[in-house]
Amino acid sequence: MERIASHPAAGQNKALPGDFAIWIFIYAELLVFGIFFLAYAYTRAQHVALFNEYQQHLDRESGAINTLVLITSSYFVVMAVNAVRRGAARRCGQWLVLAIGSGGVFVVVKLAEFAARHAEGVTLSTNTFYMFYLSLTFFHFMHVLMGMVILSVVAVKAYQGAYNALEHTGVETGASYWHMVDLVWIVLFPLVYVLH
Amino acid sequence: MDMNARRALQVWLALVVLTLLTWAVGRAGLGGAPVIAGILLSVAVKGQMVADVFMGLRGVRSPWRWMVSGWLLVVLVLIGLAFFTGET
Amino acid sequence: MKYQSQAVAKPYFIAAIGLFVGQILFGLVMGLQYVMGDFLFPEIPFNVARMVHTNLLIVWLLFGFMGAAYFLVPEETERELHSPLLAKVLFWVFLVAGALTILGYLLVPYARLAELTMNDLLPTMGREFLEQPTITKIGIVVVALGFLYNIGVTILAGRKTVVSMVLLTGLVGLAVFFLFSFYNPDNLVNDKFYWWWVVHLWVEGVWELILASILAFVLIKVTGVDREVIEKWMYVIIAMALISGIIGTGHHYYWIGAPEYWQWWGSIFSALEPIPFFMMTVFAFNMVNRRRREHPNKAAVLWALGTAVMAFLGAGVWGFLHTLAPVNYYTHGSQITAAHGHMAFYGAYVMIVLTIISYAMPILRGQEAADPRAQVLEMWSFWLMTVSMVFITLFLTGAGVLQVWLQRFTDDPQPFMVVQEKIAVFYWLREAAGGVFLIGLILYVAAFFVKGGERVMASNAVADTA
Repeated sequence: MERIASHPAAGQNKALPGDFAIWIFIYAELLVFGIFFLAYAYTRAQHVALFNEYQQHLDRESGAINTLVLITSSYFVVMAVNAVRRGAARRCGQWLVLAIGSGGVFVVVKLAEFAARHAEGVTLSTNTFYMFYLSLTFFHFMHVLMGMVILSVVAVKAYQGAYNALEHTGVETGASYWHMVDLVWIVLFPLVYVLH
Repeated sequence: MDMNARRALQVWLALVVLTLLTWAVGRAGLGGAPVIAGILLSVAVKGQMVADVFMGLRGVRSPWRWMVSGWLLVVLVLIGLAFFTGET
Repeated sequence: MKYQSQAVAKPYFIAAIGLFVGQILFGLVMGLQYVMGDFLFPEIPFNVARMVHTNLLIVWLLFGFMGAAYFLVPEETERELHSPLLAKVLFWVFLVAGALTILGYLLVPYARLAELTMNDLLPTMGREFLEQPTITKIGIVVVALGFLYNIGVTILAGRKTVVSMVLLTGLVGLAVFFLFSFYNPDNLVNDKFYWWWVVHLWVEGVWELILASILAFVLIKVTGVDREVIEKWMYVIIAMALISGIIGTGHHYYWIGAPEYWQWWGSIFSALEPIPFFMMTVFAFNMVNRRRREHPNKAAVLWALGTAVMAFLGAGVWGFLHTLAPVNYYTHGSQITAAHGHMAFYGAYVMIVLTIISYAMPILRGQEAADPRAQVLEMWSFWLMTVSMVFITLFLTGAGVLQVWLQRFTDDPQPFMVVQEKIAVFYWLREAAGGVFLIGLILYVAAFFVKGGERVMASNAVADTA
């Protein structure tokens, strides 16, 4: 199994970027979110009117802004990996700081959204739609926080000079996780905020 | 700007455009089967771009790449089915 | 034995095996009472046999965990245990307290035991698995604190490895979550919450840390694979086990009066609990396949691999069978639960304790591995116990499916006792499988008494069996 991670990246048969162990994690996370998404979709099929009605109450703009923020953040992370592959560890750290900052924007926007729902008295028990909305977005929110922690560790190590053009598995590992968080939101936003 | 960086920027731009499109559809209050199909298709495109270019899965040996693509496909197709059964 | 103080593990392991034998005997008594209701009545009523069966299990596993900690902590930290004397004293305290409690169950009616132990001062008795008198519970806490102090100081003063840190975290968690057993709210919903926070967070939470660290330790020793590789996989497995296990507590909230969303949260997260167990199976086989040495203790390797497989089947697959809320609506509290309980406890926790005993006991007795003939016998006991446990599980699953079908998932439900009559054949078969399990256990004990024989011949025999 370890050979997969240390396999030289070449041609059509390159290895997964980063540590193989994080990919086990990523696949497991995708599985959980996938099950959650399908649970939402099939429960909605039984309560179409309810879901359509309460979807109107969501803050679509904040959802869209957060999508743009996460996409941009993912782009910064790509640039960070790109930088460290050239050996520019410091530049890599700077890109990561930008990515973490974008993550911070996501967190602030999301918290404002949660606060607004809270002020309206919405809870997990209000109705099935809100149960899914809060569960899905909160579960994803925890992943954003987790991703920011991982990226912060990587950024600190990048500034300390722990990575170079030859050895930067840590950067790729953190980057892969962050892209997963982005990928999941790309599905979540249209599903919960837009589709009806 | 090297090739990787340029491709990443192109993907970022495409993602932004598709996201704004999705948002506009939501704002206009559009719904129904064709709109759902269109948005799900755009999500598939966005997801595959993130997987291939951002995650760097293009050219990664199987089964690792198709596990992400397959996830996207299965989840989006099943979501689509659920929405169409719910619509009627 | 690298460190003298590791020797304190030996009495713990012996006590564990002794209590294990007792647990199985009471299991057989109870299994017979399923089909012959008045067997041994009034001396040992069913409820008492059940209490002794489950309490002995918990106590001997705790002995096993403590023995494992005393054995592996000096080796991991590369120093002698802080206080071997304290470990010996606590051993006797725990053994005497445990024995008195079991005798109390057997000799006086439960209500009288509650009176005698002044349960009314701080009522904690009467809850399943936590039936111990309050004074025993306090004793358990004292022993646990002394034990944690002893290994905690040793770990903090010595080399810190992932294995020992994870073990310490698991053991601290075990002690902390046990504190919930002292709070016994009058409100039935609250009562169930606190009860599950002991029971579930033990077996599907912190005990998994203990399991993972012991397994990792044995695999490092018997395979010679780099510690870093094993540690990395341990991190991934533990993270997933904890996330799915802790949120998965929700699968106990379905029908106890908790909000409805727990049916979703509980179903989804507990459905993921098999994944870390599956990863553990893949991991264990992977490490053994990549071994850098042939360890002479084949039996320990067999137990380690067996743990990985049986934990996945018992905890993972049999847990998943009835974890989804719509399924659990029908299977709740049926023989399906009993099937899962048996295989999960055997596969995960019984087998990991037997793994560390298998690895450590020969070393504690001054050899690297037991005599090959003893190992052959031990492997026979492995297969007899494991296969009979598979059959116990299958028979109970059969009983459970039929029970649910006749009594619950039907337009024309039959009464409980009528259904029990109809599934009696499964109970008889289960009892027979239990008898085979006892034979396996007797062989297991006998393997410790096999004297060294002709070495060359015997090692061929090991190779054939393995």
